[in-house]
Amino acid sequence: MTQLLGVLSIGTSALLTQQRAINVTGNNIANVNTPGYSRQRVNLETGTPTQTGIGLMSSGVSSSGIERIYDRFIGVQLCNENANLGRWEAQQGMLERVEVVFDESGGYGLNQALSEFWNAWQDLSLNPSGTTERSMVATTSQGLADAIRQKYSDLEKAQTEIDSAVKGGVETVNHLVAQIAELNQKIARTEADGTNANDYRDSRDLILKQIAEIIDIQTHENGDGQVVVSVAGGRPLVESGNIWQLQTQTNPDGHTDVLWADMNGSAANITSAIAAGKIGGWLHTRDKQITGYQNQLDALADGLRSQINAIHASGFGLDGTTGTHLFDDSASGAAGFRVNQAVLNDLDLIAASANLPGVPGNADQAIAIHNLRTALTMNGNATFDSAADTLVSQVGYDVQTAKANSMHQADMMTYLQNYRESVSGVSLDEEMVNLVKFEAAYNAAAKMISMADDMLNTLMDLIR
Amino acid sequence: MRINQNIMSSIFVNNLRRQTQGMLQRQEQIATQKRINRPSDDPSGMRRVLAGRSSLAAITQYMDNINQGKTRLKFTEQTLGFVDELIGQAHRIAQEKSENGATSLERSLAAEQVKGIYDMVLQFANSRFGDRYMFSGHQTDTAAFTRDNDFNATYNGDAGNFKIPIAENVEVAIDADGRNFFQDAVNGGVSIFDQLRDLIAGLENPDLALGTTQIQATVDPLEAAKLQVANKRSEVGPKLYRLQATEEHWTNVRNTVQAAIGREEDADVAQAIIELKNLETAYQSTIAAASRIIQPSLVNFLK
Repeated sequence: MTQLLGVLSIGTSALLTQQRAINVTGNNIANVNTPGYSRQRVNLETGTPTQTGIGLMSSGVSSSGIERIYDRFIGVQLCNENANLGRWEAQQGMLERVEVVFDESGGYGLNQALSEFWNAWQDLSLNPSGTTERSMVATTSQGLADAIRQKYSDLEKAQTEIDSAVKGGVETVNHLVAQIAELNQKIARTEADGTNANDYRDSRDLILKQIAEIIDIQTHENGDGQVVVSVAGGRPLVESGNIWQLQTQTNPDGHTDVLWADMNGSAANITSAIAAGKIGGWLHTRDKQITGYQNQLDALADGLRSQINAIHASGFGLDGTTGTHLFDDSASGAAGFRVNQAVLNDLDLIAASANLPGVPGNADQAIAIHNLRTALTMNGNATFDSAADTLVSQVGYDVQTAKANSMHQADMMTYLQNYRESVSGVSLDEEMVNLVKFEAAYNAAAKMISMADDMLNTLMDLIR
Repeated sequence: MRINQNIMSSIFVNNLRRQTQGMLQRQEQIATQKRINRPSDDPSGMRRVLAGRSSLAAITQYMDNINQGKTRLKFTEQTLGFVDELIGQAHRIAQEKSENGATSLERSLAAEQVKGIYDMVLQFANSRFGDRYMFSGHQTDTAAFTRDNDFNATYNGDAGNFKIPIAENVEVAIDADGRNFFQDAVNGGVSIFDQLRDLIAGLENPDLALGTTQIQATVDPLEAAKLQVANKRSEVGPKLYRLQATEEHWTNVRNTVQAAIGREEDADVAQAIIELKNLETAYQSTIAAASRIIQPSLVNFLK
């Protein structure tokens, strides 16, 4: 009798367990395209064995839990590489915009502005008192000054854009960090009784990856399954349910710095400690690369201003005046590179003559200014023209490097994602096979119950 | 390795993206006919292109300068040619009228003729190139010579010369000091205006014998003046030659630089088209392969 009823209970356990397995399989199929989802499986166990007359016999099947298939190391690697990908993509995106500022492939830019400027002085040297030649000198000087100033301010605009991008990035990080803290607690609560918090862990991994894309983080998991996230050399963002917020602040240069505030609310500047992630890439582009281009523009503007003014001031204008500066020297750098307004108002002030008696036919000063074109005026090793060309190709190099690295990094991510997919991803074929397998087991269990029923009926019929 | 549909589709999408990127790049090259469409396409190439463009702009300017210089030199030569002829006329008059036989009427007619010659020489000495006086040194807005009623000429210019930049730090100087042409008394030459003035005085002298002496005194200097102008005229030739030679040099250099820029930035269209064609084939076969691999699934075979 025990055996016959035992068949029924084994059948019941099989029905329930196979059904549960079919549920999990169905859930896997449903989440085949869910980002960050790890396939799950039911752990099947034989039922607790009981002593029978002929020895120990287990009593059916039971499920001991649902676990996700997961490689914890790939999670960490994905975070790290995503931080690098974020960095190079951010650099590439910003630098490509900067590249447009220096795009001289069409022929309009610094190079042409300089050439036109030098040529105008040659034209003037052939006809030092000509009104057309003088106004050409004024126009091309203005064109050159405008080009340099425009590029400088375009670079500043790019930096401002980066500032707001950094602010947005910090906001997103704070938002995501709060979610991590929440998930941390859910996971701890769920796993306290030994069940796996599979879906919470999947979400947390996904969010960690998102944070890493924005800012480089270090993570490790506590014994109770809670993750600790820290930035910039060990400053914590999340520890169990506690969160530390990142802040932004405008620095003396007018740009946005990233600050980490401790529990007492005092903030530490971590701008220079952020190495990767989008914020890391933006900061590098803003503070190292764009600032570098600006310095080169400043050097070019300062060089042109001082060298040309020196020659111009020692020359004599059509009206006999001397000591006039062609470029306004009340400001320095590229941002203040302007043609002296007095010269624009009175073209006679343009000093083509080397001496007073030589006015108006002497053109030695115009020739001397034109000869600066080939002089090694920049630190004694480069001409103005080649300094400008170097800047353009420097921008090109930086964009090329960022492009190559972000492409390489994207390949790396694809590889890692595919590796993750190969471990944790749902395969429909596999799930279909499982479905068939579990369905067959379910059918067989049902068959077993109906057979036990038949047997019971036969037994009951004997009594009647 | 365990492969699922997501891996296959991600690889497939990646390949398609790369191929379309490649096709876009080739298409851009073919459309613009340029290999370098932005500095990052080839930073060092871009640098060479820019350096080439600077040289090209400078060369074009030098060639313009040379052309202006050539025109000015030719103009100078022509002017001096006319002056040479005028002095020749004056010289002939001096020779003819220095013989005692000439009557005072003949002489006064000749005097009028020489006065005309004087003013024409003065006019040529005050020639302008564009609206600038050619023979007044740096005082290009002042007439080189003026005369008073007694035919005394004054030079109003200075010793400046006209410089034409024809290459880096190289200028050809063209003499613009009118004294060197017309009044070279300083350097032991002949003042044409003074000789013509003396000739006029001799021709107008009522004392015919004294006049004859005066006229005779101008014959040799006028010959020397003719030589002086001819010498200045012959200075033009070598300069013109130098300008022409430099121009030819620049023409060659310009072609070389243009070719170098072209090699650097022009797209090899034939190659770009072949590459585009290859990518197209790869693209199509990727899609065809993907359609075979991605579609089938066990789902389709289970009833």
